[in-house]
Amino acid sequence: MSTAPLIEFNRVSRTYGTGDKTVTAVDDVSLRVDRGEVYGVIGFSGAGKSTLIRLVNGLERPTAGSVHVLGQEISAMREGQLTKVRSRIGMVFQQFNLFHSRDVAGNVAYPLKVAGWKKAERQARVEELLDFVGLTDKASQHPEQLSGGQKQRVGIARALAAKPDILLADESTSALDPNTTGEVLRLLRRANEELGITIVAITHEMEVIRSIADRVAVMDQGRIVETGLVYDVFSSPRETKDASFVGAALKDRPTAEDVQRIRGHATGRLIVVSLQNAAAVSAVLGEAASHGVAFEIVHGGVSTTKNASYGLLTLALEGDTSAVETFVMALNAAGEVQEVHE
Amino acid sequence: MIDTYRALDWSYYGPELLEAIFDTIYMVAWAFLLGGFIGLAIGLTLYTTREGGLLSNKPAYVAMNFVVNLIRPIPFVILIAALQPVTIYVIGSGIGNDAVIFVMIWASTFAIARIVEQNLVSIDPGVIEAARAMGASRLRIILTVLLPEALGPLILGYTFVIIALTDMSALAGIIGGGGIGNFAIVEGYNRFNPEVTWLAVIVVIIFVQSLQLVGNWAARKVMRR
Repeated sequence: MSTAPLIEFNRVSRTYGTGDKTVTAVDDVSLRVDRGEVYGVIGFSGAGKSTLIRLVNGLERPTAGSVHVLGQEISAMREGQLTKVRSRIGMVFQQFNLFHSRDVAGNVAYPLKVAGWKKAERQARVEELLDFVGLTDKASQHPEQLSGGQKQRVGIARALAAKPDILLADESTSALDPNTTGEVLRLLRRANEELGITIVAITHEMEVIRSIADRVAVMDQGRIVETGLVYDVFSSPRETKDASFVGAALKDRPTAEDVQRIRGHATGRLIVVSLQNAAAVSAVLGEAASHGVAFEIVHGGVSTTKNASYGLLTLALEGDTSAVETFVMALNAAGEVQEVHE
Repeated sequence: MIDTYRALDWSYYGPELLEAIFDTIYMVAWAFLLGGFIGLAIGLTLYTTREGGLLSNKPAYVAMNFVVNLIRPIPFVILIAALQPVTIYVIGSGIGNDAVIFVMIWASTFAIARIVEQNLVSIDPGVIEAARAMGASRLRIILTVLLPEALGPLILGYTFVIIALTDMSALAGIIGGGGIGNFAIVEGYNRFNPEVTWLAVIVVIIFVQSLQLVGNWAARKVMRR
């Protein structure tokens, strides 16, 4: 039981409509999520992420394939049979979806009522959760009195209330500004690390994947086009059109326009060096002068994932052609070097 | 004006008016209670059987929608006449206050059904999805999410209907019912006593204004605006 995946999709498809108007939201997706991990799904809007995450708790039904969650075949159950398993799966929404007819404590208590908790236990649990999300003083306020970040913290407290095994985060930070995004992401990370809850997060924001996910799936037109550890996928995205999302979101390679602008001031050879071992690259760059090479950093940067950093740096190299060539060789030993095509 | 008002014989009109007010309250209250309840049930059925609704069921929706559209546009005075055989069958008599209440229940039921449906449609579907995701049953969602979330607008809708019922009750006289409308026509209009008619007008205005004030107050309290 413990080795079985918590969530397993087996060749799952979901189409809408019939005949010519058929739209395939999820197209033959297979995936598995293990207990305790944070699984991120990233893709442009319209890639089918929303449908994918709703297949996990049966809010959507597959038209083909099977979905197993917590040892049960979700895809074979009727709406009325799903209530029990759903109380073990919390969900956080982009637009928070708080009950406006209830105050903050009432929102957090609702799933506990659904799960049949006694009143005293409910009150204690609500206090505990509001403390966890740092909103103890807002217990009797109503959702419209809260800021976006506070609303989402209530949403998270509500989703965690009934001690679920899984937390589904549906674009949980997309309606928030960068500061509150960080706040909410730290909270999700704490939920994963301190409570051991398994998280599936769908997003179009690289930031979300970078700061909380262990594994990531890149989704495009209903398919999962790339999957793996976050570091691997981001540091060396597959050079396909499908995986263009990673490159576009990272902005770590100069675009044609960037190159044109760079060419306005830098005339030397343009190369891209990988920073998987940033220390080694830095050491080589420090010796540039002794090679008779001058370099200018024209594009790129370093990003940090949950437990490693990666990045690409674009350099313009000035100097004698052979000296530059020797320098590039030395650099290539420290980090993979690619030419910039113009 | 002051002279004409002095002409009012309160020892006669006083008890008559009180009885009329009581009849109006009696008719409006019963029709509102029963019509409000049945209308709520039909409105919930309309909303939940819609495409994509909690109990999505196209044939049920189409049938129910057709019935609502069929009854709703019938003017109340025609409905009184048209329903008379049914009224006699159910109430045992085609005349009197109870017969009027029976017809008022029909009219208010379908008005409320539509108002309930329209107000529920404006609820953010995300809230319903959130409740489903928490494992709430459909009945629980209807009772603890749908109705509380739409409560403010529902109160205003019900206020609108109770005032419409007051309007309907004024026609009770045509089948032998009482109430303020009957009082205004029988005691005022038919006897060329305009001051009596105006007395009825003032009573109706106070009645309707009070209902509206209470409705507004309750809705505002619920919506906290």
